[in-house]
Amino acid sequence: MEIGPLISVVDDDESVRESLPDLLKEFGFQVQTFSSAEEFLASDGIGQTKCLVLDIAMPGMTGPDLQRELKIRGSNIPIIFITAHGDSTTRPRMLENGAIECLLKPFSEDALLKALNEALRLN
Amino acid sequence: MQSPDSIDEHDGQRQSEEVLRFVDKNFRLVIDSIPVPVAVTTPTGEVESLNQPTLEYFGKTLEDLKGWKSSDVVHPDDLERTVASQIEAHETGRAYNVESRHLRADGIYRWFNVRGFPLRDSQGNILRWFHLLIDIEDRKRGELLLRESERQFKTIFDEAGTGITLIDLTAGEPIRNNRALQEMLGCSEEELSRFETYDRLTHEDDREKDAISFRELCDGKRDSLRIEKHFIRKDGRFIWANVIFTLLRDHKGRPLYIIAIHEDITEHKLALEKLQANQDLLDLAQKSAGAMAFDWYIQEKINTWSPEQEALFGLAPGSFDGTYKGWKKMMYAPDWPTVVEAIQHAHQTGTVEAEYRVVWPDGSLHWLSTNGRMFFDGEGNPLRMVGFTSDVTRRKQAEEALRRSQAFLTEGQQLARMGNFSWQVATKNITWSEQLYRIFDFESSVPMTLELIATRVHPDDMPMIYDMAERAERGEKDFEYEHRLLMPDRSIKHLHVVAHRTYDQDGRLEYIGAVQDVTERRLSEEALSKVRSELAHVTRVTSLGTLTASIAHEVNQPLSGIITNASTCLRMLAADPPNVEGARETARRTIRDGNRASEVISRLRALFGKKEPTNEPVDLNEAAREVIALSLSELHRKQVVSQSDFDEDLPTVMGDRVQLQQVILNLLLNASDAMNDIADRPRLVVIKTEPYEGNHVRLTVKDAGVGLEPENVGKLFDAFYTTKNSGMGIGLSVSRSIIESHHGRLWAMPNEDEPGATFSFSIPFATDGAMTAQAGSADSKIEQTEEH
Repeated sequence: MEIGPLISVVDDDESVRESLPDLLKEFGFQVQTFSSAEEFLASDGIGQTKCLVLDIAMPGMTGPDLQRELKIRGSNIPIIFITAHGDSTTRPRMLENGAIECLLKPFSEDALLKALNEALRLN
Repeated sequence: MQSPDSIDEHDGQRQSEEVLRFVDKNFRLVIDSIPVPVAVTTPTGEVESLNQPTLEYFGKTLEDLKGWKSSDVVHPDDLERTVASQIEAHETGRAYNVESRHLRADGIYRWFNVRGFPLRDSQGNILRWFHLLIDIEDRKRGELLLRESERQFKTIFDEAGTGITLIDLTAGEPIRNNRALQEMLGCSEEELSRFETYDRLTHEDDREKDAISFRELCDGKRDSLRIEKHFIRKDGRFIWANVIFTLLRDHKGRPLYIIAIHEDITEHKLALEKLQANQDLLDLAQKSAGAMAFDWYIQEKINTWSPEQEALFGLAPGSFDGTYKGWKKMMYAPDWPTVVEAIQHAHQTGTVEAEYRVVWPDGSLHWLSTNGRMFFDGEGNPLRMVGFTSDVTRRKQAEEALRRSQAFLTEGQQLARMGNFSWQVATKNITWSEQLYRIFDFESSVPMTLELIATRVHPDDMPMIYDMAERAERGEKDFEYEHRLLMPDRSIKHLHVVAHRTYDQDGRLEYIGAVQDVTERRLSEEALSKVRSELAHVTRVTSLGTLTASIAHEVNQPLSGIITNASTCLRMLAADPPNVEGARETARRTIRDGNRASEVISRLRALFGKKEPTNEPVDLNEAAREVIALSLSELHRKQVVSQSDFDEDLPTVMGDRVQLQQVILNLLLNASDAMNDIADRPRLVVIKTEPYEGNHVRLTVKDAGVGLEPENVGKLFDAFYTTKNSGMGIGLSVSRSIIESHHGRLWAMPNEDEPGATFSFSIPFATDGAMTAQAGSADSKIEQTEEH
């Protein structure tokens, strides 16, 4: 099996960290998971990450906080936000701020795949 | 000083010069033509000839007068001096001048100025002596008189009881002053001889004014001046003096002297001031007491009423006609019998004492009180009345109000089921109001004793009665109890007793108190409390609309897992070869997440309720006060003290009042719960409101409870997160939803320097200018709303 691009998942919800990597691996990606934005920033995987799947609402640093921090650090990893809190205003706001996509939980694998493809095409 | 003689003397001088000029030619003729006596003597002094006026004056012949030195022609007292002058003149050859008395023909001595001149030849040898006798009697007399009047003046000046200064305008100084002035002004004679001293003593307010008047006098623009001068003596005493300045002029009218006479009027002034002060005091007393003195000569029909007295009758000054009839007309008719009775009483005793109403010209009624004496003529008609009248309308109104409120009190006590008692501890004397007998269900004729009261008190509450009796024995100031009665029919009454310590007229300790039957209130409070706990529960869980986001999150989270896992599962099964083990694992996770979602739904089931949210101006202070009031009993039960610190100028916010109150209630109950196990410090909760970040208002609830675990702060607001054994953990989540729907924020912080946590929410205030809170006082204030 060829080695796919590295996707990083950051979500404080354990069930997401449990289920999403399996699906992504099924898609053929490499996956690493983090339970918080801080943990991700402290890791050495930022440079290899080709796409970031990022929860919006997290204790401490939120998803958008991390997005800003990455921008400051000069990184332009494509970001796909996921959220269980979202309403109709969330997605346009996120897209406006430079996200590739904003998926409202629960989301379909098609929607996820479409977003990932778009992110990776940019790379 | 000039005298009338000076003119004669001058003439004499001139005439003698004439003599000298013409003597050589025809001196006989000259001598005879001189109208005053002239004598001619030889160089050795022998009388040679005398002119006619000489002979006529003396009434003697030339022969007689040749021996003048040995006769009484010259006054014996003056003879020696006169002879000596002549001898000296003869020896020196110089003219002489002597004053001496000479005997006139009628036997009277008159004063003469005798002047002698030598007549010399061309070699300077003395040929003759001329002696000119000039009558100076009048001048001499004047001099004498003057000396006498000067002596008298000096006596008057020095001995006068009034202070006098004599000012010499030529010298420009006060040249004399007398003892009276020195004593009056407390200065020495020398000090008073300088203007500067007077200036210094003059009260500075008067200095300039006095100086101007005095200058006019000095300049001769006026002849006299009278001023009241205010002096300050060196010893600090004030002196009032009436000073009369009189200008003395010379014969040409030029100002020469000023006499200033000082009369000490200090006592007079003080008396006047005192009199005025007394009058002022009387006026003041009359005005402040509203009682006006009057003296009314009734039959003379003279208005002797003061304007103040007239004012009491609503009359304009001077408009009372002074007649009895006019007076009667002003009486309020229904009170006239009272007045007549008072007049009859006055007829017997002379004393007038009446309270009656008068009708003012504007129709209004006023209560007046008159106290005084009435005098009657022989036929018993009122003649004169003297006394005081005062307006007692307000007192009468107060009395009426008091009477009414006493009536109200009795009625009110009945309505409020409230009775009064007084209790003299020492004598054990207890007085009960009727209502109190009714509350205890005793016959009102029974004398009240503590023992009798005890028969009604609920056995469980007896310790309270013992405690009350003990405290009363100690004389404590106030006490307040709530205890129960167990009535004969086994029913329970709740009483609220308040007593206040006081002392009767004899100084004995006495308690005055009120007892209220609060049974109904107590019962309704209990019912209310029950309702409130239900309400508190409901408010935690209602408002489905505001829960939606929370519910969505809670459900979406497991749903997300389910879908992801199911997708993975399908993919694993579709693989070649199928990843059965992986598919099994993801299917298990799918089931687990499905159960989780199911749990969420079941826990939500109880919360469903519906309420239309509103949007209206809300005064957070007011909303918080209501919540605190609603919770007081609950807080009390949990021994929590609540303290409010409200900014009274807090702007209004727009929102749903009930929802916001749910949040406040939730925070308050959480704070209370958080202090359940706190025993080592006060269970204090502080509710504070304040402006925040420019356009927000913030409400904080600070407790002294167990505080927050830092790792849990993030989860606090998740639905169903709870640290409590009871409760669903929905409160903070709902609260946050509510606050967010108000465009605000809800957060929690551990307290910085003390135990416990602070929950805060902030919401933007109404931007509409009209939506401002009803501002109370400008300062925020602390309200202590709970004791225990």
